Amino acid sequence: MTLGETDVARVRHRIGFLPEERGLYRRMTPVRAIAFLAGLKGVPAREARRRARSLLEAQGLSEAADKQIRSLSKGMAQKVQLLSTLAHEPDMVMLDEPFSGLDPVNQQSLEMLIRGLAARGATVIFSTHVMQHAERLCDQVVLVAGGRKVFDGPVAAARAAAPRTLMLEGVFLPSALDSLPELEAPAIEHLDGGAIRVTGALKPGAPAQEALRRAFAQGLDISRFELREPNLHDAFIVLTDGAAPAR
Amino acid sequence: MNRLLMIAWREYLAYVRTPGFWLSLLLLPVGLSSIALAPMAIARSSPVPNVTIVDLTPQGLGHAVERTLAAPGENGKPMARVVAPPGAPFASRADATARLTPYLRGARELPGGGRLDAVAILAPTGDTVAVDFWSRDVTGRSFEGAVGDVVREALRRDRLEKQGVAPRVLNAIDSLQPQISDFSPKAERGRVALKDRLPGLAGLAMGMLLWMVVLTGAGMLLTSVMEEKSSRILEILLSSASVPEIMGGKILGVAAVTGTILAFWMTIGACVLVSRSPALAADVGNVLLAHGRWAYFGFYFAGGYLMFATLYVTIGAFCETSREAQTLLGPMMIVMSVPLLFMSQSLTAPDAPLLRALSWIPLFTPFMMAARAASNPPLWEIAATGAMIIGVTGLELWVAIPAFRSGALATGRFDLRTFFSALARRSA
Repeated sequence: MTLGETDVARVRHRIGFLPEERGLYRRMTPVRAIAFLAGLKGVPAREARRRARSLLEAQGLSEAADKQIRSLSKGMAQKVQLLSTLAHEPDMVMLDEPFSGLDPVNQQSLEMLIRGLAARGATVIFSTHVMQHAERLCDQVVLVAGGRKVFDGPVAAARAAAPRTLMLEGVFLPSALDSLPELEAPAIEHLDGGAIRVTGALKPGAPAQEALRRAFAQGLDISRFELREPNLHDAFIVLTDGAAPAR
Repeated sequence: MNRLLMIAWREYLAYVRTPGFWLSLLLLPVGLSSIALAPMAIARSSPVPNVTIVDLTPQGLGHAVERTLAAPGENGKPMARVVAPPGAPFASRADATARLTPYLRGARELPGGGRLDAVAILAPTGDTVAVDFWSRDVTGRSFEGAVGDVVREALRRDRLEKQGVAPRVLNAIDSLQPQISDFSPKAERGRVALKDRLPGLAGLAMGMLLWMVVLTGAGMLLTSVMEEKSSRILEILLSSASVPEIMGGKILGVAAVTGTILAFWMTIGACVLVSRSPALAADVGNVLLAHGRWAYFGFYFAGGYLMFATLYVTIGAFCETSREAQTLLGPMMIVMSVPLLFMSQSLTAPDAPLLRALSWIPLFTPFMMAARAASNPPLWEIAATGAMIIGVTGLELWVAIPAFRSGALATGRFDLRTFFSALARRSA
């Protein structure tokens, strides 16, 4: 990876890296730790300290700025580590499982931070096992299963690999589903009051409105009709044939 | 500040801010001062014991013993306060023993008050004298040597005088002492003085100092790298600096820590030496400055430290726990003990074939060459061993850089396959 640079040191200055297993000098204060790592990335000492304080303040960690890292909570220490990855304002940021171990509030805060980086023009590469994070934050995804890349492209293209799902609820006989050829392998679930819920994949290219129109034409008593677009989770299962080994 | 210096500075501050650093700094001067002053302080604070001499000898040897014990010592205090034996005279050794024992047990006090601490009973036995020591405690044996010497000398003089040797002649004979002098063509003024032995002592001191620095510095480096690897800090550092910068920064930082401690110790030592013996201090200074010895010692010191530090930093990168580090350190410690065994021999035989041979084993070279400084090794030997240290250190670095990267990024135990594949990539 050269980022158009010939000098390795300059490449390092433009990259921020957050490893999965986090670690900082436990006896250092957050300000010193962030300034030290920013200094290694070429930020002058005074400016590094200024940025460290500014970043900590923005993340609500002003009070912890001059305490030893060993006295901080895990979530706070993780934030400090992330800030130390960003203090030199890198063009490319690599985050290995950045959300692991964070509570929902801190996850939300981290998401905002990542969006901010992207808005600034930085490229953010992060790994995650939580598809919702990737789906919410990424433009491009690489899906890896069993050490093999199974997909590389835009999120929308990945989602398109999985079928849309149609769900119908109402009081009708399962045999009536024969009139809905757009629905593939429908699963039937019996509900209270003699109603059933039918869930099935919509054939590729088939319009959902056509299925609805047919259902009404057959006089089916439909109380609920829902079309669900596939998400990245569905796409991952489809693309890996549902056989991705647990990491 | 460049990255190497930043890493070194952080490393230095990390150690300087620990209580252990300050303990190390102060412990040696305090320890040495205690060793030097403790016996004097103990002697000054101890009360002078009360001793009684029961003299049953016909020659009256007790007077000589009394004079010796009552004479003021180096600290101005007598060895003992000689008191008249309570209840004298005594008929025999057994009588004296039986009647004085209650005083030693503390059951009775001396007539003028105070307790009796020891009794020496001198009694004739055959053609010699028996001396029975009785003391309050089983460990109270401090007068035995002095009393034994006095009695031995008195008996010797007595026998010789009985053989017809006049006391004047005896005194003249006793005053005869051989005049022994050491000479060497290498000595500055022919006769060997302390000043001429100083280079050997300085060499041994430098060798020992290097050994201590390598031992303490290596431990610090190993621990530092091992902790940073296990806490994944090393991965972050590797994304911010090159391997030579990280290794160099750590080695320099720890060198600065040990250097600070040594400088503090040496400054105190120099101040003490200058105040107590300015002439000796001047001689030591001259010895270190003469014949470029400061450069000689400096080169082997720096080369030796760098050679071992590189090795230990690399080992540290392959360890995640102190147990793993200990496993790898064990064999190194065995190797390190070899120069320790032989360095002191260089004081008496710096050019012994075995010591010269050991100087050519790279891991021992810095220690042995420093210790052999007194023999002024030939220039070719200095140049060749110097080149060898530089070559070995260069080779170490060549191996250590990929090994460090491989070890730092690997997880789990030391893996020979990972290590050699890193080397193979380096060779390719």
